[in-house]
Amino acid sequence: MRKITFSEATREAMAEEMEKYPEVFVMGEDLARQGGIFGQFKGLPAEFPGRVIDTPISETFIVGGGVGAALGGARPVVDMHFADFIGVCMDEVLNQMAKVRYMFGGQAKIPLVLRAPDGLAGGGAAQHSQSVESFFIHIPGIKVVAPSNPYDAKMVLKAAIECDDPVLYFENKVLYKEAAEVPEKEDEVPYEIGKARVEREGKDVTIISYSIGMKNARAAADALAKDGVSAEVIDLITLSPWDKETVLNSVRKTHRLCLVSECVKQGGAMAEVAATVAEEALEYLDAPILRYGAPFTPIPFAPTLEKLYRVYPEDLVKGIKGIL
Amino acid sequence: MATEIFMPKLGLTMTEGTIDSWKKNVGDTVQKGEIILSVETDKLTNDVEADTDGVLLKILVPEGETVPCKTVIGWIGAAGEAVPDAGAPAPAAAPETPAAAASAPAPAAAAPAARAEGEYVLATPYAKKLAKEKGFDLARIPATGYKGVVVARDVEGFVPSAASTAAEAVKASPLAAKVAADLGIDLKEVKAAHGRILAEDLLRYISETREKAEAGADAAEREEVKPMSGMRKAIAKNMLNSHMTSPTVTFNLGIDMTEMKRYREQLKAKEIKVSYTDLLVKFVAKALTEFPLLNCSVEDNKIIYKHYVNMGVAVALDNGLVVPNITDADKKSLTEISAEVKELAKLAREGKLPPEKLSGGTFTITNLGMYGIESFSPIINQPEVAILGVNTMEDKVVVRNGEICIRPIMNLSLTADHRVVDGSVAAQFLQRVKSLMENPALILA
Amino acid sequence: MCTIRCFEESVKKDFLNGEIPGFVHLYIGEEAIGTGICGALRTTDFIESTHRGHGHCIAKGADVNRMMAEIFGKKDGLCKGKGGSMHIADFSVGMLGANGVVGGGYNLATGAALASKMILKNDNVSVVFFGDGASNRGTFHEAANVAAAWKLPLIFVNEMNCWASTTPYRTTTAVENISDRAHGYNMPGVIVDGQNVFEVYAAAKEAVERARRGEGPTFIEAKTYRIEGHFVGDPELYRKKEETMEIFHRTDPLKLFKDQCPEGIEFTQEELDGILTAARAKVAAAKEYAVSCEYPDESEFYKDVYVD
Repeated sequence: MRKITFSEATREAMAEEMEKYPEVFVMGEDLARQGGIFGQFKGLPAEFPGRVIDTPISETFIVGGGVGAALGGARPVVDMHFADFIGVCMDEVLNQMAKVRYMFGGQAKIPLVLRAPDGLAGGGAAQHSQSVESFFIHIPGIKVVAPSNPYDAKMVLKAAIECDDPVLYFENKVLYKEAAEVPEKEDEVPYEIGKARVEREGKDVTIISYSIGMKNARAAADALAKDGVSAEVIDLITLSPWDKETVLNSVRKTHRLCLVSECVKQGGAMAEVAATVAEEALEYLDAPILRYGAPFTPIPFAPTLEKLYRVYPEDLVKGIKGIL
Repeated sequence: MATEIFMPKLGLTMTEGTIDSWKKNVGDTVQKGEIILSVETDKLTNDVEADTDGVLLKILVPEGETVPCKTVIGWIGAAGEAVPDAGAPAPAAAPETPAAAASAPAPAAAAPAARAEGEYVLATPYAKKLAKEKGFDLARIPATGYKGVVVARDVEGFVPSAASTAAEAVKASPLAAKVAADLGIDLKEVKAAHGRILAEDLLRYISETREKAEAGADAAEREEVKPMSGMRKAIAKNMLNSHMTSPTVTFNLGIDMTEMKRYREQLKAKEIKVSYTDLLVKFVAKALTEFPLLNCSVEDNKIIYKHYVNMGVAVALDNGLVVPNITDADKKSLTEISAEVKELAKLAREGKLPPEKLSGGTFTITNLGMYGIESFSPIINQPEVAILGVNTMEDKVVVRNGEICIRPIMNLSLTADHRVVDGSVAAQFLQRVKSLMENPALILA
Repeated sequence: MCTIRCFEESVKKDFLNGEIPGFVHLYIGEEAIGTGICGALRTTDFIESTHRGHGHCIAKGADVNRMMAEIFGKKDGLCKGKGGSMHIADFSVGMLGANGVVGGGYNLATGAALASKMILKNDNVSVVFFGDGASNRGTFHEAANVAAAWKLPLIFVNEMNCWASTTPYRTTTAVENISDRAHGYNMPGVIVDGQNVFEVYAAAKEAVERARRGEGPTFIEAKTYRIEGHFVGDPELYRKKEETMEIFHRTDPLKLFKDQCPEGIEFTQEELDGILTAARAKVAAAKEYAVSCEYPDESEFYKDVYVD
């Protein structure tokens, strides 16, 4: 099977959807002339003239305009440059994008995708490295996805564009360059937003993550396997509305749960998973829930400090061994 | 460094012990070798000595509580020293844990189920769920989990000790278990009419307890509930076990004690003072060497013949009875036997019988003659197969050589296990005892 | 204008009676603006409204019965009782919604205009209404800049009613006329008398035509005055009632209408009274309808969070 990068996979998804739906367009900063600051839109401007739009540095317009364009009948994809900048247009996400359908009694459809490159990229520091997905799982009315590999990157983005609800698509900056096998178009299996995937079956502990956190999950599972510990690994993929049943079923089987993400641990997306398991499957837990995430600090610049901000597979392995 | 005080294992068969009394209070200074508590087992009460100097830091098991052997029951250490968590020490008592062996690479050291009464048992939710389903008392399950927490594998691998099996592993139908859980009824309180507890047993229990409650305060004043002592529990268990194990027949035979009385007087004249019990031990031991079927035990479908006679002698105590035995009674002289019987009785009354004297008997003599009893059917001391009850000696009118005369007659009541001892064998054995006792000189033959 | 006036009076009364939940912001005295602007629009054109939006909604052609039912929180309301006064919308007539966030509508209208012109390639025009208070939001800048840069078919309609809630315009804003700012974006800024529906209409018509021709956005500043409090129940401690009433007496667009009629348009007082009476009856019927409707069923609760 062919191997393509995460970045190429998202580009393919865009091209295929723009081909399929003339009302799909994309706007954001530095897309048309540069192909996106991470090259993820390369080639699209030439392929779809007039439908890849460079905006001024106006985040409230990028998102609010996206919502308005959706209300006006288009199917917009808007790009946030760096996920950190969603802070600029929080009202457009929280009060407009997420609310117009419900508060207008279902009259509106918002087929909008907000793409947001996130994560530690090495030296991005406090305002260019954050993983901010957790803010948005607190908001009903929007869907939040965060794929962990090229194939999912493509299928999840296609599903997001075809979705009639607003979707926040978090794409990790480090994952962009990672290549993996992606089937040809005719062999693709569509992704259904809201579904998690049991990536690896196991019986002793369930490790759950998403996006780049899956690298930790997989590495920890590999290391544990060498020591005879069988870990089940689940890729959540959609953070909101998330796949409770897959998670609960796994915990009912393994009786132990380890959660990991790159975002700040406090109030993070994994806290919701932990709380739900405690609420709905407490009697199946044979150990405390383990949760790994970033410390409660802004992201430091110096490599020596940034190093401390990260979670490592060894952390998971040590923690899991401690509860077996 | 604080040191644990364990529930000692006093003898091979001891599985659990009851704290009879703590001789020291928390905070008291103790010296190595000093008695710090006494422990009651199913057979006796033993003193336990401190094996280190220090201060009694903590009592984990209160008086009257029964715990498995090797359970940590307290701590001795330096004054003010913190007592480690339950998870710290790792005695060998923890059961094998299959789950741990299968999947956990490095399970935490097993913590003993050493918990004070009412102490919250640290257990995972899943372990609690499993324990509830299996009807186990969490407090008895040793922990091997993180931080000394009882985890699922501890419950799965838990084998309730023999003594507590009956009380703990309550068998109940799922419906009964659910209803009991819903109503908060302890299944251990409910009697099953047919093996396991069914819903109908539960209903009966509910109506009975309601009647009891309605009977009012009067009943409470007229009755009193006290937990059985360790010894009482042991007697109850042993007697019931014997009753259920052996189909017994009791044989009575009167013995003319004229010659025996004379023999005893002769010895006394030579400053050899022996009791009738001593004499019986000697003469019955002699007979037993000739009737191996009465000196055996039964295990499954096998008969184990003992080529020695360890003669048990029942000793009544204020709160029960014990049966120490005289090892190799058949090879001992009458004076040796006499001295040993006296010593054992003394130790028994002081609660200081060494454990090895309480096991390994092959036959038992129990004497109720001093109470004027004329006949009774003693219960076999398992795993023995026969027991000889001794009755009162009375002058009776008998016919000897066609003449009416008065003779001292003593009835012997032999209970034998019909699985191995047929009636004729028992009868012949009794007859042999009679002939030996009526002709004491034969003891030398 | 008459329907709007009667509607607002009815809502005010019923709110004070406790029949309407939440809070409502009235358009009394400003009717000529919504009426004049929407009069120049097609049904397929879009408007983005504000928290003070009943007038815009009626002027764009929304069903008055279902509007009233919405304000009463009933299941037959335009938004099934889920939006209420501040979040009312009627997509069937291009009314893309009131907005509870002051200044929240600019970017939405700009996006709708962008979709029309650049993606769907039709000639629909979008309008965004906003007050002088909202004109100080940064969102205005982003939307105005983009709309002008891309010559989007968009009309900024500033209802300059002198009050941002309790704060007078002059204490927070340096420019004399908000429309002065339009020049900074290289778009036309025009000032009209917001109490004169004909004047508003004329400006709107020109702006709409310009937009449809692809020449870009227009900024219309309609001078008006907020007669009612910020919301119904506002104690209005920040101003004198007599002054307000004096202004209303002088500038009431309903009263001025007859004299403002341009040449060729004439109404007798009887005709005007008849229109007002008919409007009153229409609103009374709407109220009756709203009261007769059921509240939404609990089964509605989770619906419309997502499409699927």
